[in-house]
Amino acid sequence: MKQLTELATPFASVADSTPLIGQQLPWLQSLREQATEQFKHNGLPAKKQEDWKYTSLWGLSQQAFTHTANQATVTTKQSDQLALLQDAYRVVIVDGVFSEELSTLADLPQGLTIDPLSTSIDSVEQLLGQQVDIAKPGLTALNTMLMNEGAVVSIASGVKLDKPVELLVINSGSTDNLAIHLRNIVSLAENSQATVIEHYVSMGDAGSFTNVVTEVVLAEHAELDHYKLQQESANAFHIATLAATQAESSQWRTNNISLGAKFARNDIQSRLMGEQAHTVMDGLYLVNGEQHIDNHTRIDHLVPNTTSEEVYKGVLDDNSHAVFNGKVIVHKDAQKTDANQSNRNLLLSRGCEIDTKPEMEIYADDVKCGHGSTVGQLDEEQLFFLRTRGLDAVSARSLLTYAFAVEVLERIPSEIIRQAFSVVIEQRLPRPSVAA
Amino acid sequence: MAEQQQIDDILPGDYQAGFVTDIESDSLPPGLSEEVVREISRIKGEPEFLLEWRLQAYRHWLTLETPEWAHVNYPAIDYQAISYYSAPKKKTDGPKSLDEVDPELLRTYEKLGVPLDERARLAGVAVDAVFDSVSVANTFQDKLAEEGIIFMPFSKAVHEHPELIKKYLGSVVSYKDNFYAALNSAVFSDGSFVYIPKGKRCPMELSTYFRINAANTGQFERTLIIADDDAYVSYLEGCTAPMRDENQLHAAVVELVAMDRAEIKYSTVQNWYPGDENGVGGIFNFVTKRAACRGESSKVSWTQVETGSAITWKYPSVILQGDNSTGEFYSVAVTNNMQQADTGTKMIHLGKNTSSTIISKGISAGRSQNAYRGLVRVGPNADNARNYTECDSLLMGDKCAAHTFPYIEVKNPTAQVEHEASTSKISEDQLFYCKQRGLDVEDAVSMIVNGFCKQVIRELPMEFAVEAQNLLGLSLEGSVG
Repeated sequence: MKQLTELATPFASVADSTPLIGQQLPWLQSLREQATEQFKHNGLPAKKQEDWKYTSLWGLSQQAFTHTANQATVTTKQSDQLALLQDAYRVVIVDGVFSEELSTLADLPQGLTIDPLSTSIDSVEQLLGQQVDIAKPGLTALNTMLMNEGAVVSIASGVKLDKPVELLVINSGSTDNLAIHLRNIVSLAENSQATVIEHYVSMGDAGSFTNVVTEVVLAEHAELDHYKLQQESANAFHIATLAATQAESSQWRTNNISLGAKFARNDIQSRLMGEQAHTVMDGLYLVNGEQHIDNHTRIDHLVPNTTSEEVYKGVLDDNSHAVFNGKVIVHKDAQKTDANQSNRNLLLSRGCEIDTKPEMEIYADDVKCGHGSTVGQLDEEQLFFLRTRGLDAVSARSLLTYAFAVEVLERIPSEIIRQAFSVVIEQRLPRPSVAA
Repeated sequence: MAEQQQIDDILPGDYQAGFVTDIESDSLPPGLSEEVVREISRIKGEPEFLLEWRLQAYRHWLTLETPEWAHVNYPAIDYQAISYYSAPKKKTDGPKSLDEVDPELLRTYEKLGVPLDERARLAGVAVDAVFDSVSVANTFQDKLAEEGIIFMPFSKAVHEHPELIKKYLGSVVSYKDNFYAALNSAVFSDGSFVYIPKGKRCPMELSTYFRINAANTGQFERTLIIADDDAYVSYLEGCTAPMRDENQLHAAVVELVAMDRAEIKYSTVQNWYPGDENGVGGIFNFVTKRAACRGESSKVSWTQVETGSAITWKYPSVILQGDNSTGEFYSVAVTNNMQQADTGTKMIHLGKNTSSTIISKGISAGRSQNAYRGLVRVGPNADNARNYTECDSLLMGDKCAAHTFPYIEVKNPTAQVEHEASTSKISEDQLFYCKQRGLDVEDAVSMIVNGFCKQVIRELPMEFAVEAQNLLGLSLEGSVG
């Protein structure tokens, strides 16, 4: 532990040398001080900690990062190409800094506000830090110490958005080993409805470190479709925490698609605080090369009559390593909980490794809870069938891999987003090399 | 609320095996030191290599910390307050036949229903009964000896077959394995030793009863079973303990070795004193059980029915080293009142074409905590490994808890691993249906629970299956959700 605490010191000194937002706000200063204390005390989480058993931050701790970005030029055209959706309220952050010219926030409908954290920090006291615990081993404390940008999205009571909000976070590659710490806040008032996409991309293959915390609040009867698409460079470290609180009859569907980064870790949590609240927590990870992906999810059923469903699927190739841990906790008296979880993994080559651990902790009796987890490979007979139909080996494998992964996409309600994701997934699958 | 009251009224069922046999014990004073370890070894007249091994284990134990990861809570154990050796007082140098056995002891066995005398022969069960720490009687020795099968107290085997002990002791569970295994290795008093020679099929079910009797005496048993090539043995272990107010520590180690094409079937019914309804007293059962499928096509099957103990911490495991070897784990764990169980298995796939099956049924009632914790690991060379895991929990009452912590680690792309778990309560519909057919609630619950556990119970040898079904009924009397 001591060793890792020492390794964390380079980060601890950043706060002194980097101008941070909101320095004039006493509440924020006090929060940052608490976080600094926690981080100095806990350091980076070690493998000895159960939640970090299969994931080592050694690589991260050995890399020197800069917190000051060089001037970057990202054109509107590039931004358009990188974005998942063309028709969306787009908020763009380049190298950790909000870009007004790339964002399309001119004509926001009544009831929708989108602001960069840097300009709205003085109005988020009630929301910031409510969903996450800086004392927990992880990088939330570090994020709280150093957060300097992000998106604050609020939807007013009764408002139903006509198109999605896309938060596009671009690493331009013009600064080597740039570290950015983002804090996003998404809050939906009563009876509102929205779709929010968090999208992380790299241009080029520079090393980088993204440490993001997204806090979500859903009021009564609010409905949020949330997506996170991570396509960072093969040299990137990506660590993300996503936590939501759900009031009565709210619905939160979140879908976490991890394709990029050499090291990615997601901590996702939903707290069902009101009756009839419902969570859908899905995810898909496609990894190859030397990639490491770790998804930790947690659903807390805190009151009676709440439901959740979770489908996570993974495809592992080459020497990649994937970790899945899904906790479903039914608290005392949370009767009539209905919770279902599954994690399925496809191993495509020697050298890859999957460590999966679906967990249930149940303190109420009148519940229906189940989980399943599988590890397997492509079906030889199905492959053979496709070969007899004239497909080459690579195409046959790609087709079956796609069929395996697509189940997660099929659960997405929006046709447009489903299509957009399909394209992204298909690009990731191996294609037959064209014979000369 | 009224319903809960009704449940609470029926819940306290008296522990039927709770009685203390009044026999003078030869005990060491409480405390643990290198001297104590030497003394235990001296009392048992052990050869030098064993003392050396105990001392190594003891020294290693000193460097370890109590494991804290299990989902159980209990006050810290004072290891210096425990007496590490207790033997029933010897009249002579030891009994040579049943007639020489202390009649008080025999009566104890009778009360427990141990088929040690004539009934044993009729039932075809050979019992190596361990009373506290020293084995006092063996039956069917001759018959087994004819086959070349060795079945004797561990301390006797140390003298008669030191080469086997030396070769296999600690080869599956190293003294470095964990805190309790290290402790056991340092101070183990006795246990059972079984060796089935090549090609032999043990003609009867071997069974042993463990009892904890003298107050304040932790029991540290050591069981070692070796099935040589093409051998088969079925071993039964049953446990009951007298009622106590203080918590008693039990840290046993069981090692199984299966060579080429050998098969070992190990069945346990554990019904130690679970403490009263407020969680006072009861046994702390911290056990390390592990099997090595060393040979190709070998097979080890663990079956357990766990109804007793205040705390159970137990993970019977199989290391599937040999190609085509098979590991099985069938478990029913019942917790009531304030009991806590954290139990499961580990299946470590190392050889090619290895397969494992895990069926775990947890039933929680009262204010108990019942956790399944399991590991399925497939190593990089374990081509075509196959695992199927099913673990179901049944909850009775809104104050108990059920948890599932399955670890799956796969490093081979040809592996197929499936894990499924569910948690639910007895449905109103099922109960209603049974009641409507004229069954009262008690019988209906008993029937549904037995149905829930059937997959496991049917793996038990017949005598055990009957006992287990009775136990399930008894342990859950009145716990209708």
